[in-house]
Amino acid sequence: MNLFFLSMLMIASGGVLPLFLWRQVNLAKMIAVIGIGSGCLLGLFDSLFRLITGPPPGVSFSPPGVFPLSFHLDSLSAFFLVSIFTVSLLAAIYSYHYMNNTEKQIGAAVNFLFFSLLVTSMSLVVTAHNMITFMLAWEMMSLSSFFLVIYDYRNPENRKAGYLYFIFSHVGAMFILAAFAVLYGHTGNFDFAGSTIPDTMKILVFVLGFIGFGSKAGVFPFHVWLPHAHPAAPSHISAVMSGVMIKTGIYGILRLYGILDLQTPASGIIVVIFGMVSGIIGVVYALGQHDIKRLLAYHSVENIGIILIGIGIGMIGVSSGNPVMAVLGFSGGILHVFNHSIFKSLLFMGAGMVFHKTGTRSIDALGGLIKSLKITGITFLIGSMAISGLPPFNGFVSEFFIYMGGFKGIARDPLTFVFCLLAIISLAIIGGLALACFTKVVGVVFQGEPRTPNANRVDEKNGSTMIFSMVVLAAACVGIGIFPAPFLVMALKAVSAIGLDYGRIPIEPFAHMTADISLAAIIFLAIMAILAGIRIRLFRGKPIGHSGTWGCGFTRPTSRMQYTGSSYAASILDFFKPVAPMVVDHPPVAGLFPGPTRYASHVHDVIEMHLERIIVNPVLWLFDKLRWIQHGDIHLYIGYILLAIVILLFFV
Amino acid sequence: MNGPMDTILSLALLSILFSFASSRLPGLIKVLAFQGVVVSIVPLFAGHHLSIGSLVFTLTTLVIRGFAIPLCIYMVIKKVSIAREVEPIVGYHASILAGLLLIVGATWAGHRFDLPVNTNSQLLPPTAISLLGAGMFLLMARRNAIAMVLGYIMMENGIYLVGTTFSMRALHIVEFGILLDVLAGVMIMAVMLQNIKQTFDDVDTARLRTLKE
Amino acid sequence: MIESILLWTLAIVSAPFFAAVILRVKAFFGGRKGSPLLIHYYTLAKLFKKGSVYSTSTTLIFKLGPLVSLGTAITALLFFPMAGRPPVVSFSGDAIFVFYLLGLGRFFTIAAAMDTASPFEGMGAAREAYFPIICEASMFMVSILFYRLTGELSLSAFFSGNQPAQFWSTAGSPMIFVIIALFIILLTENARVPVDDPATHLELTMIHEVMVLDHSGPDFGLIELGAFSKLFLYSAFIARLICPFDFVHPALDVALFAAAVLLVYIAVGLVESVMARYRMDRVPKFVLTSFALVFFAAVITLEFAK
Repeated sequence: MNLFFLSMLMIASGGVLPLFLWRQVNLAKMIAVIGIGSGCLLGLFDSLFRLITGPPPGVSFSPPGVFPLSFHLDSLSAFFLVSIFTVSLLAAIYSYHYMNNTEKQIGAAVNFLFFSLLVTSMSLVVTAHNMITFMLAWEMMSLSSFFLVIYDYRNPENRKAGYLYFIFSHVGAMFILAAFAVLYGHTGNFDFAGSTIPDTMKILVFVLGFIGFGSKAGVFPFHVWLPHAHPAAPSHISAVMSGVMIKTGIYGILRLYGILDLQTPASGIIVVIFGMVSGIIGVVYALGQHDIKRLLAYHSVENIGIILIGIGIGMIGVSSGNPVMAVLGFSGGILHVFNHSIFKSLLFMGAGMVFHKTGTRSIDALGGLIKSLKITGITFLIGSMAISGLPPFNGFVSEFFIYMGGFKGIARDPLTFVFCLLAIISLAIIGGLALACFTKVVGVVFQGEPRTPNANRVDEKNGSTMIFSMVVLAAACVGIGIFPAPFLVMALKAVSAIGLDYGRIPIEPFAHMTADISLAAIIFLAIMAILAGIRIRLFRGKPIGHSGTWGCGFTRPTSRMQYTGSSYAASILDFFKPVAPMVVDHPPVAGLFPGPTRYASHVHDVIEMHLERIIVNPVLWLFDKLRWIQHGDIHLYIGYILLAIVILLFFV
Repeated sequence: MNGPMDTILSLALLSILFSFASSRLPGLIKVLAFQGVVVSIVPLFAGHHLSIGSLVFTLTTLVIRGFAIPLCIYMVIKKVSIAREVEPIVGYHASILAGLLLIVGATWAGHRFDLPVNTNSQLLPPTAISLLGAGMFLLMARRNAIAMVLGYIMMENGIYLVGTTFSMRALHIVEFGILLDVLAGVMIMAVMLQNIKQTFDDVDTARLRTLKE
Repeated sequence: MIESILLWTLAIVSAPFFAAVILRVKAFFGGRKGSPLLIHYYTLAKLFKKGSVYSTSTTLIFKLGPLVSLGTAITALLFFPMAGRPPVVSFSGDAIFVFYLLGLGRFFTIAAAMDTASPFEGMGAAREAYFPIICEASMFMVSILFYRLTGELSLSAFFSGNQPAQFWSTAGSPMIFVIIALFIILLTENARVPVDDPATHLELTMIHEVMVLDHSGPDFGLIELGAFSKLFLYSAFIARLICPFDFVHPALDVALFAAAVLLVYIAVGLVESVMARYRMDRVPKFVLTSFALVFFAAVITLEFAK
């Protein structure tokens, strides 16, 4: 555990030191990146080592002090630490060049401070071993990420996003506290233990915790903050937040599940249903977005859905007494946590590069960027295929395991059958929709011709650290996709720490499946190589001409005539009209000599709409009525204080 | 699941899905006619002893259900210019999915209800319940009056199926069926009258003479 | 193994021949003599002899598109037990791999189309992205049904030996619905008539043909070969189900399988001859019908196969 705390210390120093050096902005950045980066690297090696060798099931550490703080590192924590450190390390490296054109140098230093705080607090969240430690780390994580979201606080949009995030994370924390309070009420101490409490209470604790953790993870319908906060934050922060921070919610759900030792099918059913809804709705909303980072944020909702489907299948497997299904579901879900952190941070970094170079995040204003931002384009393409779950990339591997878990449940009792069937069908639909969504992003942003001057004349200069991070992540996507075996072993070790009472999980039967995936991927790549060879032969000595795109008879095409992202997604969105209402602003053309017209479309988030109607407006109304308390008279305020003291003295 | 009875009943279930998917009245009428034929021949395979009388009765139902009623309605929409579109309140895609849910629900409910089934088919109760539910659905989810009448006929098909599970002598069920048939006829008349009213602003039969070409 | 590879090669080589049967059937119904049955081989040979012209808007992805679409199609064929004989490779769960691999092919076809900056190709790409979503759901529904009946999840477990015959004996008549559904999926995934008209003359109304407008020469040849192979794969699914016999004797099996495949192609030709293309907004309903059929078949089979 010492190495772990040493890495925490290094990360923290990487955050604090730049505060004193902010005038030499490059030096400050370098110190920050080196501090945070080396801390992450150390932590990464430490947790990897523990995960791979780790015969001790966990290491505990309780510093003496007033609060009963306690830390514990088992293989589940170690697995999440691997994701956290990997993504944070690369995000730190990425940030060196991304924070280039910032005018506020002190802002960069403050950003690094909160970045390092975020990384530390996330690591502490996944290692916390009692409720107090957990809540402390959790709050620290929420607050530091809040300050990162409002980094560009001069923009009112960003401030609004920050407040929204603040409210959601605190309401979520309130639910977690409530869950912990119920646990504490039954056990009488702050330890993570609750397998002895009555079954109905277990469900209550689980549901409360699920809402709390779900609001952090971005589970539909608690996802509203996500599409606002991610675009507001700087891109490396979005990568960390979307890649790993929201996963602490998943960690919380898993931990809570382990603590409670739930045996009823209800928990699994709840998780699968929320997973399916988040998955499908998330990707449908993503299709309707025009802002690339907002789109990616909605994809986080989708992927959290996939993870939840996996975990839910695992839980159903446990409750129906089907260990193979349980292990497949859990390991698929947990592996998807890692895979998603890889490709989602890659995509956010790519989007950040686009934003950094072109100054716009609007998909329909871009185009043809793969010609100027070659490496960004190719890595983004790889990330897109990975997130769509296509072989031979890493997204496929985890989805494959979730599918296999689901199919294992098909031959079981009716309840299991129905939910597994629904899970498989929704995974298939999510896969298809994700493919549609990412062909839209890649096709409109990176391919074709530039639609506006912004997208013209860009280059990849002064971005070597950004490119480095993206290339590493893209390589990881391909590597895990072709050789998933070691990562599956890691995921299985993590599963064994959840506390499923299966003892040591044998790796043999599951390693067989990864070997099959590797074999299939290699066969496919071999066939591709042979075909590429044939293609080269076919073209040997042939004339290669260049010309404009065939305009189907139209001879003066302009780049504005290209299919836009909105039109690409329109027909699919029309299919999902009931859940994704679209408003179109398009004055019709009329008369013989029509004037100019415009077209704008916006897909509404139904939860956002109803939230305003059902919760926000009544609360505002109530507070408006209570305004008389805020009198403005200092004497009255002193009276309030007196009153409060009296009440406290008498009643507490 | 290999008996002729099950095959016939699964065709009836299939016709529900197609009726939910049809957007035009002529198509919907054809589906209903098909359904009528399928439902009417069920008693032939139900394993009852077939007397000449019941055979004649079955064939008569087949003619009425499969040809007479659909033809009548077809004539009506030909004569009176009623909109061909069924004017859905619930869209076609959602309707198909609803149809699937309905069949699943009916399968589940078929085991719960414990109908006095004395046939060899397990599919009969679910089919009957699905037909009833589907008729209800058409009544609720289609604005076009003729489509609503067709929904009503579909419900009647379902009730007839329930009737076949009892013995042939349980005539009160059949009578009930015929009663509903008459009701459907009345509703058709109502639609016609409504149309007349729309066209002429009143239902004065004297002015109907102008309909004569 | 040798036999499997031979059959696999034979399948790829014969795919263009079968595709020509569709043209012949259509010609017969149109009262024409029709093109020779080897027409596609002549076309491919001609295309492979030519050079290519590339649009200045395109990038590397445009050149990768044909390769990947052919590569995924023939890799998918590796997993299929031709004529009920064992496939070249097979593992538990390969059905998922095959469906997702075809998804990869689709991704690149779409990406290659978007690469040209042509509004028409974008339009085709949007449709290509839309309709297969429902097809994929149907395919997985078929897999669920077959998994429930066999307890395995690989194409070889579903389609080899006398397993298709066992489907008929356990599931019975609902298999007809599965076949109809698979036929609808075939028509949709391979851009055949009620969904897409490969012979139409207006780019606005096309799906697949418009996406490959800018490909020329050998690249276009690869795309054509990929399309033939993909069509063959889907036809082979249906062929094994409509002709589930297993004679153990290889030559007899292959002959029967070829006849069944031929029958499927003739059916495609028949549909093309008697039907018109649907309006684009009607297509989702058509595809959804396939999902409804399989779902329906699964519900009544699983409920009563117990």
